[in-house]
Amino acid sequence: MTEHCCGPGYASPSEAMQAPREKLLYTIAIYTGTGIQKPDYLCTIDADPDSPTYSQVISRLEMPGIGDELHHMGWNACSSCHGDADMERKYLIVPGVRSTNLHIVDCGTDPRNPALHKIVKGSDIKARTNLSAPHTVHCLGSEIIISMLGDAKGNAPGGYLHLNKDFEIVGRWENSMGDIKFGYDFWYQPRHNVMVSSEWAAPNTFMPGFDLEEVGHLKYGRELHFWDFEKREPKQTMYLGEDGLIPLEVRFHHNPDSSHGFVGAALSANIIHWWKDAAGEWQWEKIVDVGNEPHPEWPIPVPGVISVILLSMDDRFLYLCNWLHGDIRQYDISDPHNAKLTGQVWMGGLLDKAPFVNGVKVTGGPQMIQLSLDGKRLYVTTSLFSTWDNQFYPEIRTNGGCMLMVNCDTETGGMEIDPNFVVDFGKEPNGPSRCHETRYPGGDCTSDIWV
Amino acid sequence: MTQHRITIANRDNAVYRVDPHKPLLTSLLDQGVDLPYGCKYGGCITCAARLIAGEVNQKAQVALNNRQINDGYVILCVARPVTDCTLEIGVESHGDLYRNPFLDPLAAHELKADIATPLEEKT
Ligand code: FES
Repeated sequence: MTEHCCGPGYASPSEAMQAPREKLLYTIAIYTGTGIQKPDYLCTIDADPDSPTYSQVISRLEMPGIGDELHHMGWNACSSCHGDADMERKYLIVPGVRSTNLHIVDCGTDPRNPALHKIVKGSDIKARTNLSAPHTVHCLGSEIIISMLGDAKGNAPGGYLHLNKDFEIVGRWENSMGDIKFGYDFWYQPRHNVMVSSEWAAPNTFMPGFDLEEVGHLKYGRELHFWDFEKREPKQTMYLGEDGLIPLEVRFHHNPDSSHGFVGAALSANIIHWWKDAAGEWQWEKIVDVGNEPHPEWPIPVPGVISVILLSMDDRFLYLCNWLHGDIRQYDISDPHNAKLTGQVWMGGLLDKAPFVNGVKVTGGPQMIQLSLDGKRLYVTTSLFSTWDNQFYPEIRTNGGCMLMVNCDTETGGMEIDPNFVVDFGKEPNGPSRCHETRYPGGDCTSDIWV
Repeated sequence: MTQHRITIANRDNAVYRVDPHKPLLTSLLDQGVDLPYGCKYGGCITCAARLIAGEVNQKAQVALNNRQINDGYVILCVARPVTDCTLEIGVESHGDLYRNPFLDPLAAHELKADIATPLEEKT
């Protein structure tokens, strides 16, 4: 087999940016926690502006069970096996964080009507690996690893589930969890032999809802872990302290030679930047600090709660969502030590800055985002996690979530909500549902890693 | 074997007879009651219901804080009935389960059992 141009994905980030525009979006929608006794489902959304069904859900794939809480998902293959002609970006791995079931969805055979290919049962995963609560899915060459946030009983720190390319359980990926207290997201950068992982909390802590007092009792994370990727064991821990309360999404530069990466500390509402210095030591610093905002009815100012970050494929812009404030921000990070705010839009949130957008009442705040490969379109959904939604935005039960699109200026920076795109999940056929993570068939800005 | 009578207040007071040694979720699902659930080990709160009358043993649950327990919530996937019980089930019973943690903080005795300060020791 030749070594080039036959497998999935792209030879480089710059080649990925030249890919054709995304025409379909796959987005998770949930009924877990809403009172509607229906399965969670995967929506296919038409994103082709020339199509008569543009900005509509065109198919829905229901999971076989109720109460999975679909959350994050990932592809079976990405640019990390671009050189392998036997691989194809065909299957989405769609985990249920509450049930631990993994749904393997075939999106390749009929991209407009994905079909269930296989289920890896949560009970098997628990029995074979003592792990539960799947979160982030990354492929790794032809293998798949998934961060699992708890042991089979929902206690931290959990570990990493390893599947082969036929979605069979290999076992646990890591050789050791070291002193890691919690798991959440991870990203790897093979040319530096490093993986970085972040910390949410034990499933038994975050699943029932958020008790602020538990942060003080150290039930939530505040550390970042640097792994020896080949040895599959943690090597160094960064204690972020008050600057890094609840570090969630981890993003390395897409450039595989770069050592720079970023994490959003949700509760501190900070962006933490790390890099390897000239002496080969990992360093970190805070580069963005979102201030708390006063609220007429609150005794204390409202924290931003940065629920997600992502980087454009050219590593020039960092996007973040303040789920409680209701804004999405664009920062120019050409100099990763000096983030410059270049754009901001408002939708929903608790500060009442944009309760209605494109004719739809936005319940919740900007939460999961996905950026097109060319960096020009950012798709946004509003639900975070069923129990947390119920605490902060109880009206989401009746209103459902929504999806919007933001046009991003990649020349000079800047953002604008597209007036012609909105998917109102309050109007779904089985009743109001909540939308969460999005992926594109051709890859996106949070899937692809170059080895 | 003695069975307990479980009355579901918000399903027209339907009555089910259940095995005291089995979790209520299992017994009720087996008899066709439509109930939400997720983890099935007492950690995720999805299956919470409100106990209106009677007594259950739910020592194995780790999802509820003490305020939710004082408000009558029970975790059906691990709770076993000790007496006849009346329950309100489903998300309709979850009115007091969720609160904004910034607007309505918990007192030290209202935290989860493993970190709560008992009321007597306070003050
Ligand atoms: S199903 Fe998770 S607590 Fe009962």
